[in-house]
Amino acid sequence: CSSLAGIMLLEVFLVLGTLLIYFLFSKKKEEMLPFKDGWWGKGQKPVTKEDSSIRPFKVETTEEELSDLFRRLDQARFTEPLENSCFHYGTNSVHLRKVVSYWKNQFNWKKQVEVLNKYPQFKTKIQGIDIHFVHVKPPCLPEGQAAKPLLMVHGWPGSFYEFYKIIPLLTDPASHSLGDEHVFEVICPSIPGYGFSEAPHKKDFNSVSAASVFYELMLRLGFDEFYTQGGDWGWLICTNLAQIAPNHVKGLHLNMVSVSKLGLTHLLSVLLGRYFPGLFGFQDEDVRRMFPFLKKGLYKILSESGYAHIQATKPDTVGCGLNDSPVGLAAYILEKFSSWTDKEFRDLEDGGLERKFSLDDLLTNIMIYWVSGCIVSSMRFYKENLQKGIGTQKHEKLTVRVPTGIASFPNEILHIPQAWAKKKYTNIVSFHFMPRGGHFAAFEEPELLAKDILQFVGKVEKEQLWKKK
Amino acid sequence: ETILSRIRSFDYSQKNAVLVPAAALGVGGMLLYWARPRRKMNIIDMGNGWWGSCERPEEWKEDDSIRPFKIETSDKEIEDLHQRLDRFRFTPHVEGAAFHYGFNSSYLKKVVSYWRNQFDWRKQVEELNKYPHFHTTIEGIDIHFIHVKPSYVPHGQTVQPLLMVHGWPGSFYEFYKIIPLLTEPAKHGLNEGDVVFEVICPSIPGYGFSEAPHKKEFDTIAAARIFHKLMSRLGFRKYYLQGGDWGSRITTNMAQMLPQCVKGLHLNIAFLGKPSLRRMISIMLGAYVPWLVGLNREDARRFYPYMQKNVYDVLRESGYLHIQATKPDTAGCGLNDSPVGLAAYILEKFSTWTDKSFLHKDDGGLESKYSLDELLTNVMIYWVTSSIVSSMRFYKENFSTDPDLTAHNRVGVRVPTGIAAFPQEIIHTPHVWIKDVYKNIISYSYMPRGGHFAAFEEPKLLAQDIVEFVRKVEQL
Repeated sequence: CSSLAGIMLLEVFLVLGTLLIYFLFSKKKEEMLPFKDGWWGKGQKPVTKEDSSIRPFKVETTEEELSDLFRRLDQARFTEPLENSCFHYGTNSVHLRKVVSYWKNQFNWKKQVEVLNKYPQFKTKIQGIDIHFVHVKPPCLPEGQAAKPLLMVHGWPGSFYEFYKIIPLLTDPASHSLGDEHVFEVICPSIPGYGFSEAPHKKDFNSVSAASVFYELMLRLGFDEFYTQGGDWGWLICTNLAQIAPNHVKGLHLNMVSVSKLGLTHLLSVLLGRYFPGLFGFQDEDVRRMFPFLKKGLYKILSESGYAHIQATKPDTVGCGLNDSPVGLAAYILEKFSSWTDKEFRDLEDGGLERKFSLDDLLTNIMIYWVSGCIVSSMRFYKENLQKGIGTQKHEKLTVRVPTGIASFPNEILHIPQAWAKKKYTNIVSFHFMPRGGHFAAFEEPELLAKDILQFVGKVEKEQLWKKK
Repeated sequence: ETILSRIRSFDYSQKNAVLVPAAALGVGGMLLYWARPRRKMNIIDMGNGWWGSCERPEEWKEDDSIRPFKIETSDKEIEDLHQRLDRFRFTPHVEGAAFHYGFNSSYLKKVVSYWRNQFDWRKQVEELNKYPHFHTTIEGIDIHFIHVKPSYVPHGQTVQPLLMVHGWPGSFYEFYKIIPLLTEPAKHGLNEGDVVFEVICPSIPGYGFSEAPHKKEFDTIAAARIFHKLMSRLGFRKYYLQGGDWGSRITTNMAQMLPQCVKGLHLNIAFLGKPSLRRMISIMLGAYVPWLVGLNREDARRFYPYMQKNVYDVLRESGYLHIQATKPDTAGCGLNDSPVGLAAYILEKFSTWTDKSFLHKDDGGLESKYSLDELLTNVMIYWVTSSIVSSMRFYKENFSTDPDLTAHNRVGVRVPTGIAAFPQEIIHTPHVWIKDVYKNIISYSYMPRGGHFAAFEEPKLLAQDIVEFVRKVEQL
């Protein structure tokens, strides 16, 4: 009788053991994200082969454009803020009036257009739409060295302009006391639907589509291997690119990461991580940035994600007025440059806007959205990516095996510790806590970011890590 | 002295015989006193407030005059509007978008063309002025309201005062079609004229022609209190309330604040907030055995599938709520500057909240239930008063202190309540759960058709239900 029970018990253990082994090992599937081909132009895809020429492009403006802008600024209708509300209800209209006054009287769009044109820009048609990009080669290269191609992708509500301060640090590091071991040629495209890139005319243009388009761009420019860098949507697009073409992406550098597959370990580490950080792989800085979790995590996400919620569901509605009112557009975009640079800026009457950026820079970025009329299509990207819910898409379930470097800025909207990031990015070569800076890293702290990119590339190159995947 | 000496002369056992019953009576009496049925304090504290700019003056007595008011417009206002309509910058929508990405820009072009060329704002202003408007200052701000009395009252009949409160993105104008059905029911074939109303429709402070609060924290409690003061100032001691959207929350709070003043509360939507564990279990069971948890067939039809109708649909439709509850000044800024942007934002709600299937239509089904004149008149009220930002702030003031709008649900509502449940309302709340909060439901009607903007879309259906409800209450 007891031997029978013993046999049954053994059987149960065997079954359980097999199941356990199956679950532990079966997940290690080698899966790549497929390249997403598409046609985003108007109407039907033509039978003839696409024009794949690369045409130089220059930003232009006209008197008409300027006078139309000024008329709208003059006739802007403001609403008085509540007493003592600072930036707690959104962009404070008293401060907004000052910004608008500067915009009208001191901001020189013609001069800024010249600034924009200081780097060579191009357009080329890929998958039916015109892709705009900046392509900056190093002014001079040390003997025997080749420039390393680096694709840098912006986010929302940013643009290719965010990289204008960091580009010289990467194409000419020697002149900026950053050494000359690694010199880059930088390519900054505009995401389709943003700035001077044509907006997709069809539905479903998501981050994988953008990654596929940029992959085609890099191939068309003749690059077989390259580095990628990104934050905000750029983080996701570059991640997808590393998943689509791991053999072509030598290294992936990010100033923002996010995780969408949240499981029991995440929940436990949120509840207990403050008391047992070591148990969950948290460092002191992780704990400092993440806890108290309700305040710095949950409530912060809720209070800052209204824009994402409405853009992911009704982009054409919310963008409509913003494409018609430059002041409304400025209020909407500037609010992010305030709260995503430092959440404490909400308590300031001027939103702390000019502490880290110049009005000229902020308004140039806004003007890119205004003159290209792209605010609505830029918002659609949220719907195309988020409408089916977070954590449901295929690419969110796949890991990234390309060497990855993460620069974690203290004032980023959400802090993701290395312990969580390495579940997705299985080959993290460097993870650094940056001393200062927020979401718009390249715009706000170009030198810090450039240094981190350089040290990351240094590690990858030294150990030829891209060959070891 | 003789009694004392007599007591002292009792021996021990006789003392006990007296003392024990006496003590028992004493203790028993105290227990009874303590356990006596007390009048439960189940009302909301009224509080007080001041919403004017700057500090409230020391020696201040509020000007309680009621001043007649007429809406006006000017050539300048219309000219400015036309210029903005003319220079609107369109963005083409993706192919096959219909209303899935929000307001369809091709259809918007048609709306703007009508607005520019055929819509007659002067004529609509006259239409708005056909009912008497007034202003009165309460707690430091000017409150706007219309007050419509029946033109003819049969001999000996009482006229019931009825306060009707609008919501967002509506206005007092939503009630223009239902008012005649309530002030002159017999004329519209509603009944024999046994129930007749005089109707008061205020504008919530921050909406339309009511001044916006200058201070923070103006929530539904403050609005409820102000409307009570309004009714009191108009000389009413007992009255009926009707509301939908924010109007539903405000009138509910009013009933909880001064139940003795509220004869009856009629709602076309009821909010219950996050379900308790008990209700979650009922929700899960109800999908399979609705009758077991008190749901009838119509409830089940409207409520399930649960995730689709109560989670996904709500998430899809609540982006506006999320941004308005967190950054109203940002969200409203551009809308106060671009009339077309304002129209797109507001009219999208009149499409989707009237019928969810309108999402699939290129024109959002707007003109199948409303005329462009009506829709644009409502939008114009927000435009000419520049009230879009202050209207959005109401979301932040309420949601930041009370995320599911149900802090006061624990207090319950004890006044006679009538609920008209419209099939295309954003969410359906079954009777069996509403009575957890609304303890005195006199009538609960499943309306045959209609959505969120009940008074605007189905005035006759709503009026009939209100009249039925009031008739029942009067007979109690």
